[in-house]
Amino acid sequence: MLQLVALQLNVGNKKQLLLGEKNGGGMELKILNVGYGEVGKVSIGGSLPLVFIGGPCAIESRDHAFMMAERIGEICQRLNISWIFKACYDKDCRSSPDSFHGVGIDSGLNVLAEIRKAFGVPVVSDFSDPAWGGATGEVCDMVQVPAYLCRQTSILRAAAATNRPINLKKGQFMSPWNMKNSVRKIEAFGNSQVLLTDRGTFFGYNMLINDFRNFSIMSETGYPVCFDATHSIQMPTSMGNISGGQREYIPCLVRAAAACGINALFMEVHNDPPNALSDANTVLDIRYLEQILVQAKAIHDMKRELIEKYGEDNVHVEK
Amino acid sequence: MSTLKNKYTLVSEVMMKPDDFPVLLEKALMKEALEAMGKSSLGIVCIVNEQSQLLGIITDGDIRRKLLKVQKPFSAFFVDDALIHAIRMPTTTEPTATLIEGVTLMGQKQIWDLPVIDISGTLVGLLHLHPAIRAVLGMDNEL
Repeated sequence: MLQLVALQLNVGNKKQLLLGEKNGGGMELKILNVGYGEVGKVSIGGSLPLVFIGGPCAIESRDHAFMMAERIGEICQRLNISWIFKACYDKDCRSSPDSFHGVGIDSGLNVLAEIRKAFGVPVVSDFSDPAWGGATGEVCDMVQVPAYLCRQTSILRAAAATNRPINLKKGQFMSPWNMKNSVRKIEAFGNSQVLLTDRGTFFGYNMLINDFRNFSIMSETGYPVCFDATHSIQMPTSMGNISGGQREYIPCLVRAAAACGINALFMEVHNDPPNALSDANTVLDIRYLEQILVQAKAIHDMKRELIEKYGEDNVHVEK
Repeated sequence: MSTLKNKYTLVSEVMMKPDDFPVLLEKALMKEALEAMGKSSLGIVCIVNEQSQLLGIITDGDIRRKLLKVQKPFSAFFVDDALIHAIRMPTTTEPTATLIEGVTLMGQKQIWDLPVIDISGTLVGLLHLHPAIRAVLGMDNEL
């Protein structure tokens, strides 16, 4: 059974007593607190409600990012889902030199700062160069380590130095258990706020699959876990010089992940996927967002109810 | 079993000091524990916290049994915290116990090594069967 322990969190301007937890093995489940200053604070982990992390893959323009933030915010408010706006200012892992690379760090961080202020929502962006860590962490409530760079010490050091919660993507080439090495590096650099995100695992060339054991395995670190649905259906560089994707599988993968046990759901969302400047073959059309989120929330809530009723999973390796 | 000469010998007089046997901190990985055991001639590693208090031990026998039960790949087994696979409440003795008591205890438990902890739970040594028997037999200066 879950053991409840008192934990004091900052919620808005108030100190609020929430319940932290330990799992059946007595391991403390860490809870991330995302948000500084005048934004709605979002807590991730334990048996807290599912959090959504989403937005366009890239900041295409100020107006587009604002429009997306407004539309996603309306949906999340309607569904009573806490959320974090995600968009990147520099896409450093594009397959082609001709692909849109991003609006750049200065312009991008200005847009993210404006979105925080206008909508009161925490924001997250990744950074691909350790030198960008400081500026990214100054603006963003959470910083993200790209999957391809998830074991690079210099990036992990820079992410830790921001003192912000870190969304650490599991590399497509990484086993879930070896993510502990990256977590230990971040801890060694003085940061203990990590969200571990699965975005699929290479299955041969140009193909990803999801191993749903990953959530349980990565949670053994004590940190919350997240499912990145829209990158999981990516077919990396399957179309010559760009990546393809099978977005028709997003809904079923989201349902499966929510049932397995995740603390956050990550999806890139766009109002016009065919004309998206980044990840056009994988971003989710915003017209489908609400029906996916409502199912994810329902399954997440039901899983919590089942565990409260029947107890935590207790099928263990024979001692 | 004992000679009169060694009747009052204490565990603290015969035990190995922590620098002379494998001791790891609690966040050590299984792979590091196996390496530490491989480097020593002993089939045991002790795991302690920052205050040097004993948290658990892993022996050759524990690893043999684990290999038959843990179905995960070696790569996952190696990156597990060693403490996960440790015996958390091992049989121990105190430095003030007599050597005869220590050897008798090892005989009763069919074990080769006895971690030695003080009253605060701090690991202060390891009583290994071979030097213990040599001491009991009064063969300290032989072999």
